[in-house]
Amino acid sequence: MGTITNQADDTGAAPIIVVQDLRKRYGDIQAVDGVTFSVGKGEVFALLGPNGSGKTTTIEIVEGMRSADSGTATVAGIDVSKDAGAVKQIIGVQLQSSAFFEHLHLSELLMMLGSIYGIRVDPEPLLEAVDLAERRKASFRTLSGGQKQRFAIAASLVNDPAVIFLDEPTTGLDPQARRRMWDLMRDWKTQGRTIVLTTHYMEEAEELCDRVAVMDRGRIITMDTPANLIDELIGRGFQRTQAVRSATLEDVFLDLTGRSLREM
Amino acid sequence: MLRRPIIYLTWSTMKMWSRDRGALFWTFFLPLVIMVIFGLLNFGELGKLDIGIVDEAQNEGSFQFVEGLASVAALRIEQGTSQSERQALSDGQRDLVIILPDGFGVEGQTSQVQALYHASRANETQVGLNILQSAIDQLNFSITGAERVVTLQSEEVDARNLGYIDFLMPGVIGMSIMQLGLFSVAFSFVTMKREGVLRRLLATPLNPATLLVAQVFTRLVVVVIQTVILAAVAVFVFGAEFAGNFFAVLLAAGMGGAVFLALGFAVSGWARTEQQAAPLANIVSLPMMFLSGVFFSRDVLPNALRIVTDYLPLTYLVEAIRGMTVQGDSIVTQWPNFLGLAVWLVVAFVIANRLFRWE
Repeated sequence: MGTITNQADDTGAAPIIVVQDLRKRYGDIQAVDGVTFSVGKGEVFALLGPNGSGKTTTIEIVEGMRSADSGTATVAGIDVSKDAGAVKQIIGVQLQSSAFFEHLHLSELLMMLGSIYGIRVDPEPLLEAVDLAERRKASFRTLSGGQKQRFAIAASLVNDPAVIFLDEPTTGLDPQARRRMWDLMRDWKTQGRTIVLTTHYMEEAEELCDRVAVMDRGRIITMDTPANLIDELIGRGFQRTQAVRSATLEDVFLDLTGRSLREM
Repeated sequence: MLRRPIIYLTWSTMKMWSRDRGALFWTFFLPLVIMVIFGLLNFGELGKLDIGIVDEAQNEGSFQFVEGLASVAALRIEQGTSQSERQALSDGQRDLVIILPDGFGVEGQTSQVQALYHASRANETQVGLNILQSAIDQLNFSITGAERVVTLQSEEVDARNLGYIDFLMPGVIGMSIMQLGLFSVAFSFVTMKREGVLRRLLATPLNPATLLVAQVFTRLVVVVIQTVILAAVAVFVFGAEFAGNFFAVLLAAGMGGAVFLALGFAVSGWARTEQQAAPLANIVSLPMMFLSGVFFSRDVLPNALRIVTDYLPLTYLVEAIRGMTVQGDSIVTQWPNFLGLAVWLVVAFVIANRLFRWE
């Protein structure tokens, strides 16, 4: 395994997130077992790993939603364990499954969320960004799975966050919606926002991320740029069992069904 | 101003609540229907004693006597001949037939009032005879020239207590507050917990207390509206008595609301699903609905059971409101019930604090 060096500085940006030796135990399970990493300002950083590897727990500690048993996490220099409220004020969070109040429609939900941050929110541009402007008067419950996911994204942006945490943002989305999501993340990156995400889709991580950390059993087992990790694997003499083709089945799917979003 | 989280969130919560048809039905419609049905059935009327009077005297004294009896709210007076009234009594249309003999109420003459009744209706008869006895006493006093003002006044106050709607209105108000507090919080919080609404809010800088205040405040506003509607229908449609201070009644309603809201939070903290919350909320509410004197007086309960029900939160609430609306009591004279509510408020808050969980 070896020591994982903190490579945030390699991207040339000052770290906005610094996590040091984080540990969290649930009963017999050491969910997070000494996790250390940092994320540079404006970086897109992914935590990869199988289910139960500790990604979500780690992210939720950084978000201030859970407390760690030991270790520290800071966002923009604020220690989460000391002032979770101040951290929450500057971050946007999309949970694996988000739900919102009943009996408020989408616009009202965004305005209500904005009020929590002390902000008067104009819901229109937020809804337009996730292609939900036409459902502004709909209730969250009546949305389809993909629409719910997109609304959760809009909801995470009400406070114009410096750091956005996305927990499996494209799980359950069709390929069109996933590409749309990628475009959104690229937009945020150009706006200078920092993005921390988890995903099970490696092509997504490869496509979007500046750096990824692979977690297993509560530990980070490797952390680097996707290109370096691939090079390192090839350097060890790895060869695919299947012949490499220049297109994937997903390319076929998108070629046949087009790239435009299906459900507005 | 509206941007302050607590104000905007409260406003949003009220908006949500007003759009919740289920909540509107349970909170406003159902209690109203219960009160209208019970009010129309009018157990007060059913509970009235039917008195038949055969006035053989036909003098000033007998007229006054009949008039006096007619002014007692608990009595329904019919007059007829000896034959027709005896027939009505055996047909079950009268509880008691009183025959005023010739020379009744004339000074210097002794006369015997005859009372005829069914042996099978001993209870009703006893009440009727008591009223009759006191009416006769009063008449005796007036004939012999003794003071009678005191007895006359006490009769009037007693008469005012006896309408069933006067008894029912505070009961239904208390019951509705209990149901609102227990069920609306228990269900909406369990749903929010299960669906992850609370978790999503935990990811924002929202202070949990702000959310609780918004939820509690909204429901206390609903308690006030509910109390006003139920009292208005009872008073203006059914002519219920509302003797006490309206704001004192609202204070009792608000305190009761807070007690049951806290118990509702305790239920929602313990339960993980709506299927768990429902029976628990029912276990808490159903016994009180029948034992706290909502629909009938606790006097009919066996003594041991009645002593237990003395300490139920709904008993304190209903009796505080009833004492104020029926007897015109103030907060000061109703202090034991207010104290009971205050103690329950502390107890319920401690339980809620122990059991309530965000996730």
